[in-house]
Amino acid sequence: MSAVIQTSGLTKRYRRVTALSDCTISVPEGRISALVGPNGAGKTTLLRLLAGLAAPTAGQATVLGGVPRQDPAYLAEVGFLAQEAPLYRRRTAEHHIGIGAHMNQHWDSESVRARLSRVRIPLDRPVGTLSGGQRAQVALALTLAKQPGLLLLDEPLAALDPLARQRFLGTLAEAAAGGGPTVVLSSHLIADIERVCDHLILLAESRVQLCDDIETLLAEHRILTGPRKDTTGIARTHAIVREDTTARQTTLLVRLNGPVIDPAWTVDDANLEEIVLGYMSRDDPGYSTGPQAARLSAVGGDR
Amino acid sequence: MTWVTWQQYRYQAAFAAALLAALAVVLLISGLHAAAVWHSALAQCATDHSCASVVGSNLSLGNRIITTLVVATSAVPVLPGLLWGAPAVATELETGTNQFAWTQSVTRRRWLAVRTAWLLLAAAVIAGSVSAIVTWWSGPFNALTADAFQVNRFDVTDIVPVGYAIFAMALGISAGTLLRRTLPALGMTLAGFAGVRLVVALWLRLHYMTPVTVYYKLTAPVTPPGSYLLVTNGFVGPDGKPAALDYNVPNYNGVALPSACVHATQNSPDPQAVLPCLAAHGYRASVTFQPASRFWAFQGIETGIFVVLAAVLIGITFFVLRHRDA
Repeated sequence: MSAVIQTSGLTKRYRRVTALSDCTISVPEGRISALVGPNGAGKTTLLRLLAGLAAPTAGQATVLGGVPRQDPAYLAEVGFLAQEAPLYRRRTAEHHIGIGAHMNQHWDSESVRARLSRVRIPLDRPVGTLSGGQRAQVALALTLAKQPGLLLLDEPLAALDPLARQRFLGTLAEAAAGGGPTVVLSSHLIADIERVCDHLILLAESRVQLCDDIETLLAEHRILTGPRKDTTGIARTHAIVREDTTARQTTLLVRLNGPVIDPAWTVDDANLEEIVLGYMSRDDPGYSTGPQAARLSAVGGDR
Repeated sequence: MTWVTWQQYRYQAAFAAALLAALAVVLLISGLHAAAVWHSALAQCATDHSCASVVGSNLSLGNRIITTLVVATSAVPVLPGLLWGAPAVATELETGTNQFAWTQSVTRRRWLAVRTAWLLLAAAVIAGSVSAIVTWWSGPFNALTADAFQVNRFDVTDIVPVGYAIFAMALGISAGTLLRRTLPALGMTLAGFAGVRLVVALWLRLHYMTPVTVYYKLTAPVTPPGSYLLVTNGFVGPDGKPAALDYNVPNYNGVALPSACVHATQNSPDPQAVLPCLAAHGYRASVTFQPASRFWAFQGIETGIFVVLAAVLIGITFFVLRHRDA
């Protein structure tokens, strides 16, 4: 399957800070990819680079076969929903539909009206008077009306209550089903991500830590629990992502490279939250040692 | 994009049109009155052959409030730049709506081009309309007092207000783009406009062309014909050089008096009494000015200066928008 997003060494530096460093990722077509990481990890920067709103300091990005750029053909293919869903607060949803219709060659006004009427959002009220959840729905419906090949959503769930999140994700999942756009969605909410996403990109400290299908990540990671002992035996075969040691026992998050043979360790499945937290809380990207370190670098993080 | 721009500004456009109409009505009433007074004065003087004394007389053509209002129209050209130009990009950046506008299938460049073009046109139309009304209104006043070339009249009539308005709009848009915030952009637009206008009106304008200097005898003063623009006037000493000014000794308008002439001032209640004495000692007077015939050349040059400044600012705006992250 071809990659909709392919970046190599993508780097963005502002005057003093490096917002994104050496980012190499690949997102296959049709995925709903979750972009996770602590605040300030570079999630927004990556999305803005892909949307063509910012230019990289170094590295390349290829999106839908082209370089993100200021060009009507490129812009038409990429839907972007910025943080806090910025819309003209004093204008109605219907007005925004008009703007979209006049600023896009491909535009489905009816789809916006249909989506919004399904979730009972009035088209004739200024969007500033709508609730945060309703406004996010309006913004999503407008972004979908472009019928983009790639949908970039920057923390669309952050300000929403659980019910609004569920509705938003419902609209998203429905739109993405069956030949819909590839989606990259940044969020802090692992439970919501698990519900709709099938791919994960993890950024921490402006670097990529993980980029893979969620199914693969779940299959490859295990929690090992055992008496407090030397972990070099494990590290020889597997990659230790995180190690927690108490006086009595050691808990490891490892990325497997074959079966765990040592009977001293209890092996449990790792859930997505444990994996994400494991990578996010690593003191530094070079923490993991052993033969798997090289493999981790291959996803673009540790270089 | 034109539709989008129109939708965004239609209420403001209607408001501006209403204000323009109100101003037009006021000036139409006042102007018709002034014209009537002026023509009846001309008809009156024709009967007793005193028309030479009407020009420059203190004939009242209208209300002083209206005259002040006309001077106040010199603020009109900056208003579109302040109210529409400064927020044009800055408000989008402040509210983040640029991220909505600039991720539709229209490039930032085209978005800015269309918006800028319409705003510049609107500014030109507004300033041009006000100027047209004011120019018509000024007719009898110019005939009476010959002040078409004076600051406060030159600046509100004919084509220069259009140049000012285009400049103010370009300044507003570029300030908003550079500063990314509406309020500072408003301040920069206002300060920049006032600064450039003052420097041009009070200093640069005097030097668009080499001024004409006329020397005359102190006892036979010469006034240039028509509505000229005064650059400077002064005295020329017996040596043919401008007379040194010295207010610490007995002087006439700062020109140190030869001792023989000191006597003439002391004994006469009329300060002019010293002039024959000065003339006898070889002093002359000079007036340096831009003749009335250069009015249109000056209107053209000044409009051109402001349009060129506007073009530079618009160029900077496009450059910044293209090379800076959104």
